[in-house]
Amino acid sequence: MTQKRMFTLLALFVTMALLVTGCGGTQSAQSDNKGPVKIGFFAPVTGPAAADGESVLNAAKLAVETINNDGGINGRKVELVNYDDALDSKQAVSIAQKLTTKDGVVAVVSGSYSGTTRASAKIYQDAKIPMISAYALHPDITKTGNYMFRQSFVGPVQGKAGAKVAVDMLNAKKISILQVDIDFGKTLAAGFTEKAQQLGAEIISVDSFSTGEKEFTPVLTKIKQLNPDLIYIPGYAAECSQIVRQAKELGITAKILGTEGADSTVQFLGVAKDAANGVIITTNMNRDSDRKLVQDFIKDYNQKYGYKPDMVAASTYDAFMVLANVMKTKGTEPDTIRQGLTEVKDYEAVTGLIKGYNQLGEVKKSVQVQIVKDAEFHYFGEISDDDIITPPSE
Amino acid sequence: MYELVVGINIGIFILLALSLNVITGYAGQPSMGHAAFFGIGAYTAAVMTAKLGLSFWLSLPVAGIAAGVVGVLLGLVSLRVRDDFLAVTTIGVNFVAVAIFHYTPYLGSSYGLEVNKPVLFGTELGNPEFFALIVVLIILVCLLCVKIQNSWLGLALSGIRNNEEAAASLGIDVSRFKIIAFTIGTAIAGSTGAVYAHYMGFIYSSDFAFITSISILSMIVIGGMGTIRGAITGAIILGLMPEIFRFISDYRMLLYGGLLVFMMRFQPEGLLGENSFVWRKLSPCLNKAAAMMGLSSQRRISGDGKH
Amino acid sequence: MIMQQVLNGLVIGGVYALTAMGAAMVYGILRILDLASAGAYAIGAYAGLFLYLATDNIVLSFTGAILLTGFFGTAVQKLLYIPMLNRPPIVPLIASIGLFIFIQDLLRLIAGPRIRVFNVQLPFSAWRTENLTVNPTWILIILLAAAFLALLWYILTRTRIGLAWRATAQDLEIAKAMGVNINKVVALNFFLGYSFAAAAGIMVGMLYSSVFPTMGDVPAYKMLALIVLGGLGSPVGTVIAALLIGLIETLVAGYIGFFLPRDAIAFVALIIILLIKPEGLISKKA
Repeated sequence: MTQKRMFTLLALFVTMALLVTGCGGTQSAQSDNKGPVKIGFFAPVTGPAAADGESVLNAAKLAVETINNDGGINGRKVELVNYDDALDSKQAVSIAQKLTTKDGVVAVVSGSYSGTTRASAKIYQDAKIPMISAYALHPDITKTGNYMFRQSFVGPVQGKAGAKVAVDMLNAKKISILQVDIDFGKTLAAGFTEKAQQLGAEIISVDSFSTGEKEFTPVLTKIKQLNPDLIYIPGYAAECSQIVRQAKELGITAKILGTEGADSTVQFLGVAKDAANGVIITTNMNRDSDRKLVQDFIKDYNQKYGYKPDMVAASTYDAFMVLANVMKTKGTEPDTIRQGLTEVKDYEAVTGLIKGYNQLGEVKKSVQVQIVKDAEFHYFGEISDDDIITPPSE
Repeated sequence: MYELVVGINIGIFILLALSLNVITGYAGQPSMGHAAFFGIGAYTAAVMTAKLGLSFWLSLPVAGIAAGVVGVLLGLVSLRVRDDFLAVTTIGVNFVAVAIFHYTPYLGSSYGLEVNKPVLFGTELGNPEFFALIVVLIILVCLLCVKIQNSWLGLALSGIRNNEEAAASLGIDVSRFKIIAFTIGTAIAGSTGAVYAHYMGFIYSSDFAFITSISILSMIVIGGMGTIRGAITGAIILGLMPEIFRFISDYRMLLYGGLLVFMMRFQPEGLLGENSFVWRKLSPCLNKAAAMMGLSSQRRISGDGKH
Repeated sequence: MIMQQVLNGLVIGGVYALTAMGAAMVYGILRILDLASAGAYAIGAYAGLFLYLATDNIVLSFTGAILLTGFFGTAVQKLLYIPMLNRPPIVPLIASIGLFIFIQDLLRLIAGPRIRVFNVQLPFSAWRTENLTVNPTWILIILLAAAFLALLWYILTRTRIGLAWRATAQDLEIAKAMGVNINKVVALNFFLGYSFAAAAGIMVGMLYSSVFPTMGDVPAYKMLALIVLGGLGSPVGTVIAALLIGLIETLVAGYIGFFLPRDAIAFVALIIILLIKPEGLISKKA
């Protein structure tokens, strides 16, 4: 009886092994110079982060289309190999294995969040395939190794820029912080607090909320009693839109300063409507820029997908553009791409002038300050102080 | 390498499914928070190696013990809170566990916890070694399960599953056996967590969220509850699903939800459960094949109580 | 501030009560923990939104959406749950989880993953004094919750079918033997249960001006906690549990500060109460 059971088990193991190995033929890593150049991409297209997933996938497709319309990489087409990680670390890891060992990609862009990007970073590093994290902020991603780069501001940079906006531009003395309780909110709030105190402002309260929270009246009621000059809200669009709506309903008059997390046309501006008027955010794209590059991107994206691009889309688009630019001049080997990325200097991107990537792989560029007027983001200022925008190098 | 990674993922799910099968399949206790114990094991092991510098090989059993201790507590709760109440309580345990992982600074809170790959004979364990380790663990757990099935314990558990009151009136110490089932099941999940943490090299609170518990439960239900073959088959099917259907990734969740509904409506015994359509057809063939290969073809007389 | 916080808590509790009521009713009669009610909540919100966009009439679209979802409920019980009645409880539970996942992803595929704005101008505006703000949608939610509960009470205590319903909730087999038309009773139960869930979805969609595919996630888990706390299937118990959890969450957020996410707070309360009183707050069925 036991033997029979074991026999059944054995049969199942064999079936499993066959299924697993029979999954598909192996494709050797790309080394010829004729076929298309493959760039890997993963994003949470299904699952709880599907809205951002769709946004960045659209941006990735638009970027590849733009690159190919402009003649590709010295005549070779770019091919997008994209996968859905459903915001699941295990899937992100198998995708990383697939991209590095089967699909023969020369570089990868992460359009996903911190957890998934962080979990798969080591695989790309070990496979020596450069990866650019479009907007995941986990500090350890770039620390994984020299093949890791980041396209968005690391937390402390944007937090400090926010503090300068709050204290120097908006004259806030008493500040309340309402942060999302994950790495994004925490790193920004930490940078913000440090700089704001240094500039002479006082942080009078710090509260947290979890993603998916919709009801902020209890905590806002409490903040209202404290009567701050400004409320800093490092969080994402779905929550920030509720915060500004409910703050207005409660009659809170304090200024509200958001971050790139609130930089979403549909999920923030659309939901918050009038309540968003006067809200200021730190982000990476200046909508009022007179550069053709920016206006073309906004126009093309809107035409193609029916809504205006948000921060995650812009960052993703730029990641592809930077890669294409590097490949045009340096070649399409993963090693030369990595080398090329470290040598990027003053590259004109949609999200501003990229001054370069430091030894850790962190981007250096100016922080944009935008204000909401009539349901649109508009120019309010730009933070380019060297001591603020220089990312940490270790 | 990719196949190996998929194999490891599935192997981890097989271990989790087998461990939940002891609690829900054998003892009939609904547990919808199994990922909590997987997580307790993972975090315990991660703390031991990453924070305290202890050996991975030591963390493997200790993670199991840690999860098992919490499992005993849940077992005690299950004596007082039953059926649907217990099911929802276990969901609660899952939410609370994830919240603790997410808000305890020592556990890395929302930054997650980095775990170094374990070293054996001077070399870092790679994916092939992890795969081998997991296969060994699966075989050990299967042997344990077979032993449970064929022992007094298995008989007692199936009695509890079928009718708790009747089992008690027959002199079965219901409380003791329930707690034993919870302890064994959660301890295996805990050790699996230790393997997971070291294989991934990075753990994050949401890896152990309620949705993972649902996946594990779905595996044993789809495969066939209360059987080893069912737990393994379910884990393979649901573990492979995201990979196989990657080309229609937009419809994967739809397919998953649909599959659950369809199976529960038309084949609630699971694919290879005792009374399932497939198993009724397959069982005689397997027996024949086993006989042809010279293995004994005794009829099954396991302690299911139903046959 | 305390007045405002109590009001905030009651409104949140009212939303929870509406949301959990549907699932509590279903549990009361069939003993199924129906997670798919949270799917009905999302379906209701989307139906309400699309009807509103088409007709520009909120009363019409509200009514249409809850009727539509109600009929969906009767279809679900007929095709899915009734055939499973003799199975162990885990079977319908898993089926309901599957159905919930299916509904969520279907909504995502149909309406897109992004938030859809559900902006309804109500004929009355916010009422505000120095210390107290009352949002018009809040009043609507409390009134609606009260109206639905009154309707439920009327059906249960003053109608023949209500009597049959209570008999069925006591013991389905005996009620059947006594000549109660079980099919009719269960169909009505699901119709009302899913309508309630839809109403809750629409109200929450309006309150936060947003409708999105995963909006049922949080209600799904919380609803389970609430019906268990409320004593599994007791409408009164569920309402009390909902208001209690709403108040606890609000007061914790307002006075103690943030230490756990809302869901965890609800479940901590649940575990503590269950350990003290394993049958829930109110153990007698309606």
